[in-house]
Amino acid sequence: MLKRVLGKPLEDTGALPTRYYVHEILRSLDHDNIGEAVQLLRMSKRALVDKSRWEMVRQQVIFRCRVLKDGHSKRIRLIEKRIGELKKHGKLPWQWFQKKQAEKLAHYEETLALEKTAQALLEKHEIELKEIGKKGEGHPLKGESQ
Amino acid sequence: MEERKLSIPGALVGALVGLGAEIALREMTGLDVIEGILEIIGAGFGLIRIDRKIYESTVKLLKGVDIQPDDDYQRILRRIDELTVDLPELRESFLKLMAAGVRAKTA
Repeated sequence: MLKRVLGKPLEDTGALPTRYYVHEILRSLDHDNIGEAVQLLRMSKRALVDKSRWEMVRQQVIFRCRVLKDGHSKRIRLIEKRIGELKKHGKLPWQWFQKKQAEKLAHYEETLALEKTAQALLEKHEIELKEIGKKGEGHPLKGESQ
Repeated sequence: MEERKLSIPGALVGALVGLGAEIALREMTGLDVIEGILEIIGAGFGLIRIDRKIYESTVKLLKGVDIQPDDDYQRILRRIDELTVDLPELRESFLKLMAAGVRAKTA
């Protein structure tokens, strides 16, 4: 109750305990809401107390980003292959005036554009997440210190 | 059965002694003992809860990796290596989980 009443208004200040943010980040991650998770990680950066758990969650978000991006890459390759096949077969004389082929091609191209947008967005989030980890004052990553 | 008698003055004396001890400790050590203990207990419960959530999330992430049914252990390891190239803590957790899974399967 207290969390619901005070949590949201105070979230932006970064003054809440790290545990609150970690809970919220994990909830966002559960719904694949990477944008919100990135925002929460950025907000909680200033109020760091529990660094190891915060870092673990940050790495989890990056990992999910990569898995999702991988899925988009696979779909992009598949769609590009289908578009190539459609274009190749479309050149055959008996398929010149087929409306269905053109519709299919338009649908594939639209999906391809959406997939590429999603992939670019995830790429942006991943870069941002890496930056958040680097910029944290007094918060060196284990990998970087070695 | 022997009937239990509650003594109100006794309870009051007990509470006062407790309060006196708490004040004396605070004066001597500068530490707020009761509040400190309560804080530690609360934080402990909170941390157990958060750790459980992080663990569940780690398991879910591992399950979410695109693994083919015919992939062998080495191939899965390579896949995880690729995805966790700069995420050492997470990689360690994944490896522990996988090792536990293999142990459970062979047992």
